[in-house]
Amino acid sequence: MKKAKPLVLIVDDNSVNIDLLVNTLKNDYRLGIAKNGSKALEYAGKHMPDLILLDIMMPGMNGYEVCTRLKAVTRTRDIPVIFITAMSEAGHKTRGFEVGALDYITKPFHAAEVKARVKTHLALKEAHDCDIYIASRIQKTLLLGSPPRDIPGIQISQLTVASQKVDGDFYDFFKHSNLCFDIVVGDVMGKGVPAALLGAAIKSHFLRVLNEQLRLSGRKKLPEPATIISAVHSGMIDQLEDLETFVTLCYARFDMSKYIFSFVDCGHMRTIHFHDDLNTCSLLRGVNMPLGFPEKEPFRQISVQFKPGDLFVFYSDGLTESKNVDGSLYGEKRLVDFIQANARIEPESLIKSIWNDVAAFSHSEIFDDDVTCVLIKIDKQALSTVFPDQDKLEIMSDLKELERVRSFIRKFCAKIDDSVLDDKRLNLIELAATEVIANIIKHAYNERSGKPIQINARMSADEVVFEFFDWGRGFDPESVPEPVFDGSNDGGFGLHIITHSVDEVIYSRGDQGKNCACLKIKLTGGN
Amino acid sequence: MELSTEKIGDVTVVSVLTEVLDASNTEEFKTGFTSILNESNKLIFEMSNVKFIDSSGCGALLYCQKQLNKLNGGLKLCAVQETVRTLFELIRIDRVIDIFDSKQEALRAF
Repeated sequence: MKKAKPLVLIVDDNSVNIDLLVNTLKNDYRLGIAKNGSKALEYAGKHMPDLILLDIMMPGMNGYEVCTRLKAVTRTRDIPVIFITAMSEAGHKTRGFEVGALDYITKPFHAAEVKARVKTHLALKEAHDCDIYIASRIQKTLLLGSPPRDIPGIQISQLTVASQKVDGDFYDFFKHSNLCFDIVVGDVMGKGVPAALLGAAIKSHFLRVLNEQLRLSGRKKLPEPATIISAVHSGMIDQLEDLETFVTLCYARFDMSKYIFSFVDCGHMRTIHFHDDLNTCSLLRGVNMPLGFPEKEPFRQISVQFKPGDLFVFYSDGLTESKNVDGSLYGEKRLVDFIQANARIEPESLIKSIWNDVAAFSHSEIFDDDVTCVLIKIDKQALSTVFPDQDKLEIMSDLKELERVRSFIRKFCAKIDDSVLDDKRLNLIELAATEVIANIIKHAYNERSGKPIQINARMSADEVVFEFFDWGRGFDPESVPEPVFDGSNDGGFGLHIITHSVDEVIYSRGDQGKNCACLKIKLTGGN
Repeated sequence: MELSTEKIGDVTVVSVLTEVLDASNTEEFKTGFTSILNESNKLIFEMSNVKFIDSSGCGALLYCQKQLNKLNGGLKLCAVQETVRTLFELIRIDRVIDIFDSKQEALRAF
């Protein structure tokens, strides 16, 4: 596509001067003309010229004021301004630079000089725009992770509006299982390509640390957020100090099996936690310094309980520090009030209305800083109804039911994290259950069919318990001989398998001849 | 129970075409075994389809081995899945019945 010629706005109250400039520049550029200050501001805001040639001495609003006003508005702030004036005293030039002009041309001017200076400044602007374009591409592709869509019981929506400067805001998500994921949101101090690259480097460092820590534990145990932050900090502190910058961030974990939110905050914006049952918001702040400060204290992690219907709001300072025309800030309180009033609408709509509110406040959709915001909404329907913590199954004494018992056990254990209960252990639990049921049918009920067997399952944070009830002959495990392993006899194998497949087995006989075999599987401390 | 057989020399290779070998179908398995017992006294059970086995299933395998030993033959297993092998190790079946990774290795061992 052929690029349109750059647009140059000429601001002068003198027709002769305008004619001269027009004749000088008309072959190379598209031109706009304003004959006074307010027309100039109107034109600039509407057409976004690539460069402005601005006369200082004009009736009404003078050139300094026009320039000051252009620089005060985010949208027109970066348009290069060259003053053109008859005044050549050093004092005037200095004032022009103070209000934000890039260059100065004194009248009477030479056409060649005007052409040369306009060309140079347009080239500089193009290079600058190119930098910003690269930085915003880095941000879109490397800094902003996509949220996991397949975690039951939560909804995530996010918003990013890149400023003209690009800040190095970043966020990412790390899914560990169907019931556990981490989010990191951060902000690199600084702007443009360097901040964007550093943000990307930090983000990938998190991935590396996570993988290393998982590998060290043999993939059995998730590293705690504080451990992850410590490792990222010690891995990056030298670079951050060299670059003389720092990063504020919040690293948080959602544990949906226990409804616990654990986070390490390093000087980031306070996370908003809306409590659905109390209809209040609390602000979560940690005590750690931003990454890049020579931290001596260990990073401290804080855990809070959440409930179905709760909402978490993560955001960057670009959101709360959006300014209105008077220069006042949107502010944390306004955001909290807005969340409080609207927390129950769907996250996708909520994030749009947050955006609308901020845009309405600042009368603009262009901001000094990047605006990022991530909402994590916990479904109103408790996860325990999807994956119950208790369940039961009733069957009749028939060996054909064995497969049904195993599938009941598989389904009940499905929500337990793979790192805690892997396929091998799950297989052993199925095996133990098979042996228990087979023993009940063969021995307690003496192979009679149509007799009841009940299985109760329950789960807590640290163990899974299966109880098998029958109303047949009582059973004394002591009466079963130790199995022999020479292949001569297969007696006692079942009991041996049960004992060695789970962490604890208890046999008991209750009232009215109700027998119970209870299998316990520990979920903590490995196996 | 479906048992597909293939005669290689004097050895019969039996593919056990069930995913589960537990108390619910071991009798059926033994019956199937008895019907092919007259073909050969050297048997290889190809186990790659079997995902789950319990103590009854193991008992059935031991029964088969005893019958074959009586006929001066023997039983070998091949292509055993990881989950099944876990149980074999638990009740030390792997010390009593020879287990091989592939059919070829099992054949060579006779």
